Amino acid sequence: MLLSIVIFLPLLGVIAIALLRGLGASAVKGIALVIGLLTFVISLGLYTGFDATTATFQNVTQEEWIPGLGTKYHIGIDGISLWLVLLTTFLTPVCILAAWNSVEKGLSGFMMSLLALETGMLGVFCALDLFLFFVFWESMLIPMYFLIGIWGGERRIYATVKFVLYTMAGSALMLVGILALYFQNNNSFDFTTLSGPFEHSHLLFLAFFIAFAIKVPLFPFHTWLPDAHVEAPTAGSVILAGVLLKMGTYGIVRFCLPLFPDAAVQFTPLIVTLAVIGIIYGALVAMVQPDLKKLVAYSSVSHLGFVVLGLFSQDPRGIQGSVLQMINHGLSTGALFLLVGMIYERRHSRMIVDFGGLAKRMPIFATIFMIVTLSSIGLPGLNGFVGEFMILAGSFVTDAFSKWYVVFAATGVILAAVYMLWMFQRVMFGTLDKTNEELPDLNAREVVVMLPLLLFIFWIGVYPKPFLSKMEKSVGLVVTQVQQTEPAMGRAEKRMLQDAQLVLQETQRAQREDIEKEAETK
Amino acid sequence: MPVINWGLLMPELVIALTLLIVLVFDLFDSISKTVLGWMTIVGAGIALWVSIQMHQAGTVGTQFNEMFKVDNFSLFFNIIFLVSTILVALISMSYLDRNDRKQGPYYLLILLATLGMMLMAAGNELIIVFLGLELMSLSLYVLAGYFRDNPASSEAGMKYLLLGAFASAFFLYGIALIYGGAGTTSVPAIAEAITAENKSPLLLAGMFLLVVGFGFKVAIVPFHQWAPDVYEGAPTTIAAFISAGPKAAGFAAFLRIFMEALPNLQVEWGSVLIVLAMLTMTVGNVIAIAQTNIKRMLAYSSIAHAGYVLIGLAAANNDGISSAMLYLLVYCVMNIGAFGVVILAKTEDGESLMISDYAGLGLRKPLLAMFMTIMLLSLAGFPPTAGFVGKFYIFKSAVQAGHIWLVIIGAINTAISAFYYLRVVVTMYMREPEEELSFMSYPSTLVVGLVLAAIGVLLIGILPSLMLTPAQNSVF
Repeated sequence: MLLSIVIFLPLLGVIAIALLRGLGASAVKGIALVIGLLTFVISLGLYTGFDATTATFQNVTQEEWIPGLGTKYHIGIDGISLWLVLLTTFLTPVCILAAWNSVEKGLSGFMMSLLALETGMLGVFCALDLFLFFVFWESMLIPMYFLIGIWGGERRIYATVKFVLYTMAGSALMLVGILALYFQNNNSFDFTTLSGPFEHSHLLFLAFFIAFAIKVPLFPFHTWLPDAHVEAPTAGSVILAGVLLKMGTYGIVRFCLPLFPDAAVQFTPLIVTLAVIGIIYGALVAMVQPDLKKLVAYSSVSHLGFVVLGLFSQDPRGIQGSVLQMINHGLSTGALFLLVGMIYERRHSRMIVDFGGLAKRMPIFATIFMIVTLSSIGLPGLNGFVGEFMILAGSFVTDAFSKWYVVFAATGVILAAVYMLWMFQRVMFGTLDKTNEELPDLNAREVVVMLPLLLFIFWIGVYPKPFLSKMEKSVGLVVTQVQQTEPAMGRAEKRMLQDAQLVLQETQRAQREDIEKEAETK
Repeated sequence: MPVINWGLLMPELVIALTLLIVLVFDLFDSISKTVLGWMTIVGAGIALWVSIQMHQAGTVGTQFNEMFKVDNFSLFFNIIFLVSTILVALISMSYLDRNDRKQGPYYLLILLATLGMMLMAAGNELIIVFLGLELMSLSLYVLAGYFRDNPASSEAGMKYLLLGAFASAFFLYGIALIYGGAGTTSVPAIAEAITAENKSPLLLAGMFLLVVGFGFKVAIVPFHQWAPDVYEGAPTTIAAFISAGPKAAGFAAFLRIFMEALPNLQVEWGSVLIVLAMLTMTVGNVIAIAQTNIKRMLAYSSIAHAGYVLIGLAAANNDGISSAMLYLLVYCVMNIGAFGVVILAKTEDGESLMISDYAGLGLRKPLLAMFMTIMLLSLAGFPPTAGFVGKFYIFKSAVQAGHIWLVIIGAINTAISAFYYLRVVVTMYMREPEEELSFMSYPSTLVVGLVLAAIGVLLIGILPSLMLTPAQNSVF
């Protein structure tokens, strides 16, 4: 019940704003913010009531919905989705507050889209019925489509249509996969009763994985991301980077790994290769971007490569690191987009060459920017370090893939330092341009927007235990599910092979002895 | 003297009676002609209520030497037809007023066409199906050319008549050949006559001719060429009508004849329908992308939607039949809704038929743009609208039948179709108008029609069981 309230409270806000259209801008903003904050506060109840000692789903609601189709309204959370739910409910009010003065036209529509988006995203993270999952997955496209298309930049229409078509192309295949699973699951879409092995598991794995890989986005499916990020309004970029991309990685850890472990293991070399290419490629492309927002967008491609790498490491530390890094990336990149949005509102430019020496003029902005930059690089003591370290450590010890992958991936950390610090240097230091002399520093509202993000950036960096302990059991379950089938079979095969070799050696030795005996007798 | 069970014929009788009343009242000049529209709505409403009651009671029976069969299947289709008729009548009233047209013959023809559709759905005999088809088609030919002084409308009527006549000829020839092969035109008797051993070439030829005939009527590729021209030229309300009820009626007879009379030829027609479904979806959607006229775009989209329904037919299982029925209902509602917005979006100096005319509608007419968005999202198959549920159910039935590739092509087509549906939404919300257009005020009847359509689309989208369970109970 609590979970349903969290999911649908934002939708209630949408209806409230729609009905109270005539109330004026401040009322609309007020309603949106109150609903957003209320949703966050209620969602904290999910955290406090969460039982970390079990991997089973909690806060489960299961109701008949469409018996004729075999679907139920079935929701629940585990240690993985709990964090993504909290991230969503946390970032939405931040976005509402960040967009306080920047929306000029159609404010009520903007807030309605943002809140509808929240419901869609929360539904994706909580759905335990494949049909329900797909409904939320698709319906979340519409508000995002409007957010980019109406309130976006110059090439917004191109960007938004590209975003929708990419996602739909992926989900078309996933739809077929879901239907195929339905008939292998005793005519039910229930996730909790799904248990493999499934027929055609490789095709099914690909049907799901491609849809998620587009969302992540994994190289080479990433081309929609820079366009969407650059054109989206600040709040849209924050949600996009903070939560939407995580739907892809969440889908991988929730569906691809546990449902099709054998296929996941077999495709691991290919996927990990793509992830590492993404890490390095994203970092290199980010380095040469003249546009701040594009730089952050390509850095997302790089960071999400780490997450995918960790997810396929078959190691509890690696997967925990990935889940933690999903949150970290949401916080750091979300914060970066907010900061870029703040400077854009003042200067109406995002070009790095237009800035320089801002640190003198805007000390608060520069300080916060520095912290967030370092968190994104992965400085020890800040959140990014913990996630990336765990991913790399987990990937290094695993047998799932060669250590060389990790070596190459680790260069991404260095490259991140290069492009982020270089960007920071060019924006903040050097000579202050005349046009930038009048730029005001952050106001109280903007500081309030940033403070909670900074709090979590430090908290996770210094003391990540409460975050990790809640997800431990659920991640452990995923790891055992992956390791149960294929590696076990692999091990068995290895043992059989060894046995066969022993037998062979034994017979050869016996033959040799026979020959020697024969020679002796002669 | 055969005993006639009038109760079984109740919906048809109500419609026949209504059309007589409309005919008579049209004679009196003193009566406001909008009354005729209301009579149509009330008559169709009563027939709808009766059909629903009979459907819930699960009425089954045959009449007139088993030529006329009432069962949940025909009653469910009655519901589709009558809902379409009511919605079309609602969006027609102000449209006719505005264009200063005679109203009497218009409603008369609509009711006649509706009666023809009901006959098609209930026909248990190929000749009855043909009679219904002709009754419906002849009325539609006249309606398509209803704006006599408008060359486009006359052309549409003429084209529809010529191609429709060809289709009818194919259909009749098919009936003749099947009679030659099976020795009967009664649906259950044909099914008995066709056995695994007795598959005469006559029967196969007749079956293919029937496919061609139906293909024309429901606009399946490659028999679809008439549709865009007719939709574009015909009065917008009639384009809405042709795209809804008659298409459903064509599929009703299609389902009845192929599933009940020719199930033993399923191996033969099943593969044909798979190919046709793929062609129809892909051609319809791809050509729709290139359209700049919204009526032509909706015409190609309606071709594509016939392709989706064909997926259900090709699946040929119980879910396939009921999913096709549910989809037709949903499609009728959302398509008439979309056409309704096209009518409403008329400017002072003419109908706005170019997609580019819709620029800026989202800010100037938010309510209208919202209705259009709901309809288009439903046509594109986004949740939580009825279009999504309908499409999902069709795909599910096809996966059950093992037609994975058909579903993959259908799903990719859904993504293609999203492109051109969303383009209209883009134009409405994200582009600035090139010139300021002044809009008509909202006629109340039209708004009622749109609100009903929107509620229907969202309600079926969120609580699909409302219509899904009846559809599942309607498989013969």
